Amino acid sequence: MAFHWTAIPRFIPQLLAGAQLTLLITLAAMALGIAIGAAMAAGRVSRFRVLRLLAGLYVEFIRNTPALLQIFILFFGMPSLGLRMSAVTAGSIALGLNASAYLAEIFRAGLNGVPAGSREAAIALSFSRLHMLAYVTTPLAMRAAWPAFCNLVISILLASSLLSAISVYELTGITNDISTKTFLTFEVYSIAALFYVALNIAVSLLLALTGRLLFPPQSR
Amino acid sequence: MNFALVWEARWLIFDSFLVTLYLSACAIVGGTVVGMIVALLRQAGIRSLNLALRAYVELFRGTPLLMQLFFIYFGLPLVSIPVDRFWAAFIALTCFTSAYVAEVFRSGIEAIPRGQSEAATALGMGFFHRFFWIIAPQAMRVSLPPLIGVYVSVIKDTSLATVVGYNELTRRAMELMLRFGHPLEFFITVALLYFAICYPISKLSEALERKLTPTAR
Repeated sequence: MAFHWTAIPRFIPQLLAGAQLTLLITLAAMALGIAIGAAMAAGRVSRFRVLRLLAGLYVEFIRNTPALLQIFILFFGMPSLGLRMSAVTAGSIALGLNASAYLAEIFRAGLNGVPAGSREAAIALSFSRLHMLAYVTTPLAMRAAWPAFCNLVISILLASSLLSAISVYELTGITNDISTKTFLTFEVYSIAALFYVALNIAVSLLLALTGRLLFPPQSR
Repeated sequence: MNFALVWEARWLIFDSFLVTLYLSACAIVGGTVVGMIVALLRQAGIRSLNLALRAYVELFRGTPLLMQLFFIYFGLPLVSIPVDRFWAAFIALTCFTSAYVAEVFRSGIEAIPRGQSEAATALGMGFFHRFFWIIAPQAMRVSLPPLIGVYVSVIKDTSLATVVGYNELTRRAMELMLRFGHPLEFFITVALLYFAICYPISKLSEALERKLTPTAR
């Protein structure tokens, strides 16, 4: 078969727009995921049994069911409860909920990784509970959770491709669209794959840089 | 909520539940075998081969599975390789999974102290002896919990075969919804089925991790 690479450049703007939407969805999902994930992590280490149980149930249910199904539940299922959303909104919220369960585990592992000695030192220095949380526990937990957090951002970036299944025109959606209209299947998917790899590298670099700024390596 | 409808469709759902299990099992076996081969070849220390294998791993880990699936389903027929829905899903899942499995094994192998390999060399063992009798068994122990974690993802990822029309669990829920309405009931039932397979396996992975690496916590 013959390839028609010369036909590709005129689709670049469309692909770029798709990549932009992919990034936007990832950003929205992460923002929602961080908020709910932090709440769930707090719930899982709470003193109250009911809270621990509920947060545990939420996290385990989401982590053990497919993200695609979660997207379908929000997009196709919610209207029957009277909650109608656009595909982008429903998809971003579903991804955000998905991210929140993984983030809750990441945050919890971070919290568990804070040495007891640091907390005892804070108590010895008569820090209040709130001060201890704000100045000792959270910063140390965040530092411990950072690498796992970065990995999650990348997997959410890749998972945003699932939104194409509810006809959101992010990078994968737009690629399918171009492919079915032009039959340049091989060419356009190859280029889109390169786009994803580029997005990955760019986001990873950005996160690594942020990590260096937020958590400068310290001598022990 | 009308779960009577779901009950009526129970055999249709059960049927595709088996299809999901079948595809998962195939992909897990395929992904593990290919992933092991990739990890083994990376140990050979041939520079150009290492580069190619790294590119393979990075490509399949760095692009969405959904896109790989489309690429294989629509792309392979163009180069005269006929693939049906099952084979497209199987090939895509195998390649995707193998990249993750290869990374899990690699980090497992790297966790083995160099002295082990050196001692084996000193005893006159060749590459294959060294790998299969000394390195692999120890690496397996370290790799097992994350490996099982990858398998849980595979089971969940089989749901993506829906988009190429392979009739697994998610697809069946979609069809039932299109025919009878009641999306929430069908999707939640199916979600619970996925949960019923994945949750015990996740717990197994966690328990193994606690058992095999007591120093980690």
